[in-house]
This record gives sequence, C-alpha cells and structure tokens, in this order.
Amino acid sequence: MSLTYDEPQLADVLALAEEVWRSFVGDDEPLLPAEPDPGIVAYAATVTIAGAWNGAVTLEFGDGTAEAVSARMLGSGSMTEADVADAVGELVNMVGGNVKSLMPGPSALSLPVVSAGRVAHSNDTTEICRCDLRWAGLPMAVSVHAHRRQDGHQS
Amino acid sequence: MKILIADDSRVMRQIVIRTLRQAGFAGHDIVEAGNGRELVDLARAESPDLVLSDWNMPEMNGIDALATLRGSGDATPFGFVTSEGSDDMRARAEAAGALFLIAKPFTPEVFAEAIGHILVG
Repeated sequence: MSLTYDEPQLADVLALAEEVWRSFVGDDEPLLPAEPDPGIVAYAATVTIAGAWNGAVTLEFGDGTAEAVSARMLGSGSMTEADVADAVGELVNMVGGNVKSLMPGPSALSLPVVSAGRVAHSNDTTEICRCDLRWAGLPMAVSVHAHRRQDGHQS
Repeated sequence: MKILIADDSRVMRQIVIRTLRQAGFAGHDIVEAGNGRELVDLARAESPDLVLSDWNMPEMNGIDALATLRGSGDATPFGFVTSEGSDDMRARAEAAGALFLIAKPFTPEVFAEAIGHILVG
C-alpha cells in the first residue's frame, strides 16, 4: 500500500490488526470493537517507529487474553510465559511494521517490548488513536502514540 | 531439500513451518536460527537449499546476514519473511540479492507463489 498520511488513521490500524488476527489467530473469532474494559491490563506489547515519523504502536491484553491468543497462534495450550511474550510481541511487530509502511519514510522499526501490565508512555507522546476490542469475548486494545515536539508538531 | 528459517520469534518460526506445510511443502528438512548471526553460521554449516529470514532480529539483522553470505560468495536462494513490506524495503532486499520479500501477515498461497519454483525437485 503506497498511500501515506501525516498520522496513522484509526480505520487503517484496525484493518491491519484484523488482518493479522485473521491470518495468525484465526478467522472464526473476529476482532470486534468494544467498550473500554475496566479490568487490568495483564500484558502490553509495543514497538516504536523512529525516523521520518516517530511513534509507537501498542497492543494491550486483558486478563487471559494474551494466553488465549498465544495458544491459538501456537496451536497448543501448553505454553510458557516466554511463549506468551513471544507471541504477543510478534503480533505487535506485525501491526507496527504495517503501520510503518503506511507512514512517510525512511524510518526504523524497533524490536517489540512486552511488559506484564500496562506500558507507560513518555510525556512527549500523544495518543492519536485507540480502539478497544474484544476477541473471543476477551478484552484487548490497539493504540498508536506519536512523539511530538514542544511546539506541538510531530517530531 | 533443506530450509533454514531465521526469526527471533520461536512462535513465528512455528507459524512459518506450519504455513510451509499448508502451502504443500511438507517433508523438507528444517533448520532454525534465532538471529542473523546464527543464520550465517547455520547457512555455512548446513548448506540449505533455501533461507527464509526475518528482517529485524537481535545480534545481526536479516539484511546484514544476507550481505555477509553474499560477500563470502554464498549464493543460497534467500527470501525475507518480515512485517515490513514497503517499496523501500523490497528494493533494499532485491538489491542485496534476495529473491523475494513476503510481508507478514501472509497466507499459504503467498508462500506457494514465492517459493514453489525454488523447492521443485
């Protein structure tokens, strides 16, 4: 896709996440937009994009979601915590890599960072889009943050 | 035939192996590398017929691993399987000597089209 924007659009980010889910998690349980879940964030996975556009793409998983998604990706219910971190890291790597392809380049994609719990974003970032979702009834969310200069423009 | 799969994600290596099977390429010997440096070492030790490599990996990334192989005269067929499929990345891959770049997420059909002619015989 060669179309680029000043900032990632929510519809595009959601479409990318849906494509990743269909390909690697399964097409029998779609990602569905949902109300924000008040529960805990059990895992968060994020990649950063640095260069002509600077930002971060993050996936947040509610209690039990990351384990269920990982089991579907691996085709097995027998997993270690490292397997879960590996699987959700790869998911955000794919969504983030495709977001990077939508944005002006050149830029570099980081390796994924996976945390137990919510990821903290720095003060010089702004959440530019977020979609709360449910997969197989389990809560998760995808969001994009952009780094901004002090004058408010994208750095 | 022997296929070397390099990706720092064990989950993704398993998905690539599963997709190869779904694309009709079951029964080949598989060798796995967790980063570009292991890729180079295993390519030299195992003499694979095809290398499928991620781009972003710790220790050594895929494009540097390809450059290292080509710089030492190793012409093993090499393709990327990566989350970044921009025109720029495809051009860089081709210039470095890669035969194809498969963007994640992928389907068995994409695998079949990209590597079918390489794994014949």
